Amino acid sequence: MSEFSLYLLQQLINGLTIGSTYALIAIGYTMVYGIIGMINFAHGEIYMIGSYITFIVIAGLVSMGIVSLPIILIIALVIAMFIASTYGWAVERVAYRPLRGTNRLIPLISAIGMSIFLQNSVGISQGFRDVALPPMITGGWAFGDPADFEVTVSYMQVIIFAVTFITMTLLTLFISKSRMGRACRACAEDLGMTNLLGINTNKVIALTFIIGAALAAIAGLLLGLYYGVVNPFVGFIAGLKAFTAAVLGGIGSIPGAVLGGLVLGVTEAMTAAFFPSEYKDVVAFGLLITILLFRPSGLLGKPEIEKV
Amino acid sequence: MNQFRKTLLGLSTAVCIMGMTAAAQADTLKIGLAGPATGPVAQYGDMQKIGVMAAIEDINKAGGINGMMLEGVIYDDACDPKQAVAVANKIVNDGVSHVVGHLCSSSTEPASDIYEEEGVLMITAASTSPSITEKGHQMVFRTIGLDSLQGSMAAQYILETAKPAKIAVIHDKQQYGEGLATAVRDQLAANDMKAVMFEGVTPGDKDFSALIAKLKKENVDFVYYGGYHPELGLILRQSAEKGFGAQFMGPEGIVNADLAKIAGEASEGVLATAPKSFDQNAINQARVEAIKAKGEDPTGPFVFTAYAAVEVMTNAMTATKSTDTEALADYIRANGIDTAIGAVKYDEKGDLTESTFLVYRLHKDGSKSPAQ
Repeated sequence: MSEFSLYLLQQLINGLTIGSTYALIAIGYTMVYGIIGMINFAHGEIYMIGSYITFIVIAGLVSMGIVSLPIILIIALVIAMFIASTYGWAVERVAYRPLRGTNRLIPLISAIGMSIFLQNSVGISQGFRDVALPPMITGGWAFGDPADFEVTVSYMQVIIFAVTFITMTLLTLFISKSRMGRACRACAEDLGMTNLLGINTNKVIALTFIIGAALAAIAGLLLGLYYGVVNPFVGFIAGLKAFTAAVLGGIGSIPGAVLGGLVLGVTEAMTAAFFPSEYKDVVAFGLLITILLFRPSGLLGKPEIEKV
Repeated sequence: MNQFRKTLLGLSTAVCIMGMTAAAQADTLKIGLAGPATGPVAQYGDMQKIGVMAAIEDINKAGGINGMMLEGVIYDDACDPKQAVAVANKIVNDGVSHVVGHLCSSSTEPASDIYEEEGVLMITAASTSPSITEKGHQMVFRTIGLDSLQGSMAAQYILETAKPAKIAVIHDKQQYGEGLATAVRDQLAANDMKAVMFEGVTPGDKDFSALIAKLKKENVDFVYYGGYHPELGLILRQSAEKGFGAQFMGPEGIVNADLAKIAGEASEGVLATAPKSFDQNAINQARVEAIKAKGEDPTGPFVFTAYAAVEVMTNAMTATKSTDTEALADYIRANGIDTAIGAVKYDEKGDLTESTFLVYRLHKDGSKSPAQ
């Protein structure tokens, strides 16, 4: 392959990895939106908390003398998912449930407030600085001529890509096949009616938040390990990009969130590849506006029917 | 009735508080300490705090200034220009008229306009952007050299010592980083070394893989980065993972033990222009020990520039026997002052007449040594 096509391939791989990281977080956004029609701005913060818990657990296990990588990762994942889910549940209980049924803007403000509260409370307890973790999963594949242009794919990139797709598939199956998933879809259809039919909608919504938070914790663990750095503000930026990905793909649609994330990531990488990297956000958000002009409900979103 | 009681209670509390501050003002002089106490670059604020507090402690132990004890009051601007303006107004409202700070150039610049207007003496120990002193402000000084000096020092080192085949200049699109990067690029260009890339990254970004692939494709062997350590740390870490092994160089904004924490092995050998290690100066040895005894780190680049900022103010106060900021500013502009960073002299604009920078090589344990 020529140097140019190798370079293109490398940037495509970079873009797909960045896109997968957006997608992992976007899935949680889109799920909550799909079911209760509310944007959970605190989702990015749950992701950040997931990263912190991963770092704390890993540091703890290593200092206890446990060095086996799979054991460390599994324990970290379980604890991070558990604690993040507790946060997700608590956030819903405290900040959103009391406001259910009010004007749409009110829970939105409450969500932003929750996001600021979580950012700062983590900052106060853990410090506002970057916390770093040495690389845990290193290595990867390299191909192409090192003298010319060498394409590198790290194991971490492949893991992130794979986990994103596995999560997407499992979640889609859960929503479409399981009993609880059916209840979720019913809530999405008509919350009041579902309640009348004897389904505990409070339970369904709480579950949505718990699942969303668990997904954010998976993202927190993977991205924490991939970048090796976390600070209390990572959730905000990541959340913003993930939210964009969810809107781009069609908010409410799980495959849409993944597609949106990948499109956003690849656009950013390709822009940075051929133009000065200052332009990557300009092009990415320009694309978002263009797509929304022609498909207001996003790439895979269903057009919203005005309820009368 | 209840309402009336509440009002009464509130009023009496307010009177109490006012009374207390009035009493405290009689024999203490407040020095405002403006900089980031929170936020991603809070550690630089800590360096400033360590230096200022050490200076205040030493001066108070020696009997204070003109019979007054000094007191440091911390104001947090989080390195955010908007918050810096709010902080500057608060400082003015609190009646503090001597300020060490701010820290980030982008915060110092808007804040300095307010200080100038309100007659508050401001000495920054860390802001290196040339535009801060270009407005003809009379109340604004620094105890650190300028970006332009730092940039030309870096450019000189690149031209004479590093001599790279292909150089790229990257910055973080902020006043400080882009200013420095532009200075370096222009001076290299003036000496027939053209940067193959000149690009900005977004502060707070975590993924620089696209940029690194591009650097790799251009076969760049030297990168000058204008910005702070959080982004450079990640760039270094990801470069190592992707097999991109160019020499990196940055300004004093990257000189921080956290760079080594973020980048690990990849931070070994990175070049940086930084203020001379004033903690090595013979005159500062007792101070270094005192700071260490408190469990704090005396090696940060802004610790002794901050210490010196307090000294510049207090020496002027002793010499003029006043705290009047105009008299102090005139004295500082006209006279050389001996400080922890050596004898300092100011030009008309309030800038140091001599550079305080040196090229260092950073190590993976967070230490640094002068580069050859």
